[in-house]
Amino acid sequence: MQIRALRKHGAPLHILAPGKAYRRDNPDATHSPMFHQVEGLAVDTDITFADLKGTLDFFCRKFFGEKVRTSFHPTYFPFTEPSGEVSISCFVCEGRGSDNSGQICRTCKGSGWMEVMGCGMVHPEVLRAGGVDPERYSGWAFGLGIERFAMVKYDIHDIQLFFQSDMRFLEQFG
Amino acid sequence: MKISLSWLKEFVALKAKPQELKTALTGLGLGVEALVQAGDDFIFEIEVTTNRPDCLSHLGVARELATHYRLPLKQPKTIVKESSRPSARAVSITIADADLCARYCGRVVENVEVKPSPAWLARRLEAVGLRPINNIADVTNYVLMELGHPLHAFDLARLAGRKIIVRRARAGEHLRTLDGVDRTLTPENLAIADAERAVALAGVMGGEESEISSSTRTVLLESAWFDPVSIRRTAKAHGMHTEASHRFERGADIEMAPVALDRAAALIAEVAGGEVLRGRVDVYPAPRRPRAIPLRSSEILRLLGADVPAKDVGRILSALGFQVAETKSSKSKVESRRSKAAFDSRHSTFDSSWKVTPPSWRPDVSREVDFIEELARHIGYDRLPSRLRVASRRIEQNEAREKELEVSRRLTALGYYEIVTSSMADPEENARFTDRPPVALANPLSQEASVLRSSTLPGMLGALGWNLDRDRKDLRLYEAGKIYVAKPVGAEKLGELPEERRVLTLGLTGTWREKRLDEEEKNLHAGFSDLKGDIESLLEAFDSAGVRFDPESSSCYEPGFAGRLAAAGAPEPLAIFGRLRGARAREYKFPQEVWLAEIDYDQLLGLKLKARTFRPFSKFPAVERDFSLLVPAGIPYSRLAEALSRSRVEEVMDTRPVELLPEGKIEPGHYSLLLRVRFQSPSRTLTGEETATLGQRLVNSLALLGVRLRS
Repeated sequence: MQIRALRKHGAPLHILAPGKAYRRDNPDATHSPMFHQVEGLAVDTDITFADLKGTLDFFCRKFFGEKVRTSFHPTYFPFTEPSGEVSISCFVCEGRGSDNSGQICRTCKGSGWMEVMGCGMVHPEVLRAGGVDPERYSGWAFGLGIERFAMVKYDIHDIQLFFQSDMRFLEQFG
Repeated sequence: MKISLSWLKEFVALKAKPQELKTALTGLGLGVEALVQAGDDFIFEIEVTTNRPDCLSHLGVARELATHYRLPLKQPKTIVKESSRPSARAVSITIADADLCARYCGRVVENVEVKPSPAWLARRLEAVGLRPINNIADVTNYVLMELGHPLHAFDLARLAGRKIIVRRARAGEHLRTLDGVDRTLTPENLAIADAERAVALAGVMGGEESEISSSTRTVLLESAWFDPVSIRRTAKAHGMHTEASHRFERGADIEMAPVALDRAAALIAEVAGGEVLRGRVDVYPAPRRPRAIPLRSSEILRLLGADVPAKDVGRILSALGFQVAETKSSKSKVESRRSKAAFDSRHSTFDSSWKVTPPSWRPDVSREVDFIEELARHIGYDRLPSRLRVASRRIEQNEAREKELEVSRRLTALGYYEIVTSSMADPEENARFTDRPPVALANPLSQEASVLRSSTLPGMLGALGWNLDRDRKDLRLYEAGKIYVAKPVGAEKLGELPEERRVLTLGLTGTWREKRLDEEEKNLHAGFSDLKGDIESLLEAFDSAGVRFDPESSSCYEPGFAGRLAAAGAPEPLAIFGRLRGARAREYKFPQEVWLAEIDYDQLLGLKLKARTFRPFSKFPAVERDFSLLVPAGIPYSRLAEALSRSRVEEVMDTRPVELLPEGKIEPGHYSLLLRVRFQSPSRTLTGEETATLGQRLVNSLALLGVRLRS
């Protein structure tokens, strides 16, 4: 997606690309061979890791609530570097990991944090493959699962519900 | 990878509590999936990303923590007591295929006593999830977990000619591996062979015949470096995944080979008695040449948005084992900045550059940006600055998206719920609804999901059926999804993708609203005109002049209850809709009529949204007149509507059919239609005579179609 978009539009470029994604996973409560993702990409002459953090922090607060804090930690993706995983503080227990009666928080499973998306600075080889000079331009990118976001936000525990078309599910969000 | 805290402490004097270490490891990119106490030890289950084979060991994880806590890293002890007899006399090692094996080191230990390992060694292995076997095998596993380098131990007496030849396997060559499976090798596989035959599958698993047994007296220890791609292919081809292949396919540390070998030899001497022969046999045809790569402070700032002081660059990279040479140095222009908010400056106060040489255990590091990632990891992503800028670029509204939203709004207002069904379909079911060839999946999960659909109807029918089975009888559903059409066999071109088309699918069954107390439910059952009306409501959003409804005959739909919608001159219909054919409905065991529409979404979205212009309304009264018409069978209403609009009677505000009597009820070969017309003039009140004249003009315009007034 990133390379095709860069080849087509060149830099600077800011895009969001939602779409279906496929993985060879057997369907269960947390896996589906088909799901939806949004990829975001920002390429310009002055994009830094700080912009990545600031933008995704802003987005997570708008989406999950202003009380939410974000934390970034390193991971590996072949197409970004540095690469990161974004966690949000649990908006149910407000990051404490347990509710007022001391029960372990069901939403974050007691950790106080939830991993919600992957991100990183666009790898120089990706920029180059997109026809963009990595010495002049830099960029950040993220990818998030739409079902995953909805599951976290609305406390849905079975991803299959998104594809069963059950009216009892649809009516709650219609 | 299971990592023991007590084992880590042999390399670095950690003071932090296990929970703090867990947070630190996650912050370094070594995600801790579980932390469990095991006696007086703690075990971290670490998810090591594929780019970091160096962290598949206690030494590697210890190095990360030592860097993080600014503690010294102790190197493993490798003092080997050797006998006087040289190992080169006891074994000969040849690498025949150096492209797949860059280094092969061996040591020979004689007069060992094979027996169970001492408790300390067995406990260590069990703590990290390995089963103790015997003292020799356990030592190789111990060194694997400690230093990350896979080793193998042969019973040297069982190697023909006391020879090791590293070569591609011969086609059809047999080997029974340690898991007891007889395997047939191919020249794709790298084998470790003796003078006669293959004795191990290089980098994956040893062979049963040369396995260490209770009668083994002389051990040959192997510590080698194999090509990652070759190991990955071989392991995959044989359906194997071992601790060794896991590391070799990610990239082992070629300079660790002799260190791990010595460590293992010394440990064997300790736990199995035995004498280590003098010297290593080390076949290393083309030693690795480390390459220095430039790193610029300006680039650090450009990518991280933060300055990293030169002393931190040097400290972090050196602690991780990189050789750092400063090639250009300039001190901070503002000295005080260094102490406060070191990582929060927007403008570089440094202008330095370095030449950095990555260590042999970091195959993932080969570019400047790789160093910058190391710095970011060890500064901590959460300590790096964050910036939110006002978007300054022009943002354009996406016209296609506006249209999609308009369609969604209209369907939602009509009571439809949006659904998403699987793109993957059963080819047999798919073929019952379309002739278009679907796209076959190369590696499907099941037969029921083995193609990408070329019809959306099975998905919609599945959704309707799911709800009908759960006693939800009144449904209006829509899906905006794609179909995938394969190129005809022979017409595919390399790199050319199958055709993707967007389809808007409607599904409708049951009543269209809840009945009132004074109504009969059957009068509310959705029928042809409901579905057609819903499609017309969609079309109203668009500039749809020239789009026409016609009857449709298609195998999916009930004859006489199906329609098509097409734009003038368009090769494909804009929509096909109607009642699911009875035979099909029975296949799905539907208890009631089901109505479906397939709308060519690309074509619909290709239409322009209707431009809205205000039309002044008349202040004079409107007059309604009903016309009872006899229409020849076979002339659909759309033809009448066209004729009426062509008559260009300005005073006609609106025409609509209000009653239909089917063919033959009044007169054979004709159906009867009551048409209601509203007349209104912008400039005066119409008289009865004027209205009658206008009405006659309309009737005349219909006469061409054979339509006449019922007498």
